[in-house]
Amino acid sequence: MSLFAAVTSPLDEIAESLGANNLPYAIPLHPNLVHLTIGLFAIAIAFDVVAAFYPLEKRLFRFLALPVTRSGFHDVGWYNLVACSGISFFTVGAGFYEMLLAVPLPGVRSILGQTAIATMLWHAIGGVVILFVIVAMTVWRGYQRFIWRKDLGRQVSWLYLLCGVAMLLAMGLHGSLGAWLASDFGVHITADQLLAAGADLNEVLP
Amino acid sequence: MLNLLPPLNDKNLPWLDVIHPIVVHFVIAMALIAVVFDVVGVVTRKKNLFEVSFWNLVVATVAIIVAIMFGQVEAGLANPYGASRDILNLHSTIGWSLAGVLALLTGWRYVARQKDPALLPKGFLVVDFALAALVLVQVYLGDTLVWVYGLHTVPVVEAIREGVLS
Repeated sequence: MSLFAAVTSPLDEIAESLGANNLPYAIPLHPNLVHLTIGLFAIAIAFDVVAAFYPLEKRLFRFLALPVTRSGFHDVGWYNLVACSGISFFTVGAGFYEMLLAVPLPGVRSILGQTAIATMLWHAIGGVVILFVIVAMTVWRGYQRFIWRKDLGRQVSWLYLLCGVAMLLAMGLHGSLGAWLASDFGVHITADQLLAAGADLNEVLP
Repeated sequence: MLNLLPPLNDKNLPWLDVIHPIVVHFVIAMALIAVVFDVVGVVTRKKNLFEVSFWNLVVATVAIIVAIMFGQVEAGLANPYGASRDILNLHSTIGWSLAGVLALLTGWRYVARQKDPALLPKGFLVVDFALAALVLVQVYLGDTLVWVYGLHTVPVVEAIREGVLS
């Protein structure tokens, strides 16, 4: 084990250009891009669901005197998904960059009993898989919108909606892994890293 | 009375993880993409994009109400220290204001849409940029509370409970 410990982290070579949070900037990018990926995907699926059940809701909208069209709801489902696909490449890219610079607190276990490195590996592989599925579903939805179901009122198949809902559940778990990397493992959180280094936050973080 | 409240975990929360940062997905993403779709709609003259941005604004308005509810509870349990106290106050003030702004803009769009859904009201693009700026400032403040001051993270909560941080 002592031989293993003699190999230092490659981060040590650039330590001087990084802040206390192990990043060259104060606020990590990945968690902010995640707002867009999750928000756009969830609302895209939600509006396609609303559009799919449109015949049932018609009376309610008429009662509210709210002029709506089924194709308008499907437009939200389509354009939000397209935007999600494009942005999510940057979400995953920023995630990998920031994961390479991650220094999780040692000796911590997540609520699932996972170590920091196990959590990071699952979150990394899961992120690539989710990106792949988002892009695949966008292509799938595009074919439905413009070719297969062009003349139908309901623009997406039930299977597509089912996949969307399943993906949301998967993203919930996946997102929790990412959240624990911050809240439990202290990755890229200035205060947590300073505390681990034995600093007095009342002085160094006024 | 106090023993009726649920016990708090190692993040000083009555539930597993912070909920406010999850709910704000739907405020941030929807408000910003509404601005983007308005701009793209004007540039490409794709009128149905205005309908997409309208519905996104509706979602953002509903979501910010929920975000404020959880935000207030979690802010009350955050034990801010040092300068994070001022940042949390500012974040709360802008948050409530943003709810008003979003509700107002969504209402404006609703009225304009009743007349002609294919038309973006004059001057709305300018307001769009102001909205995006306000959202970005608010995100930055929230980010600072989490990523710099680590509110509701295990090490910070532990330090506060041990009395080494106040």
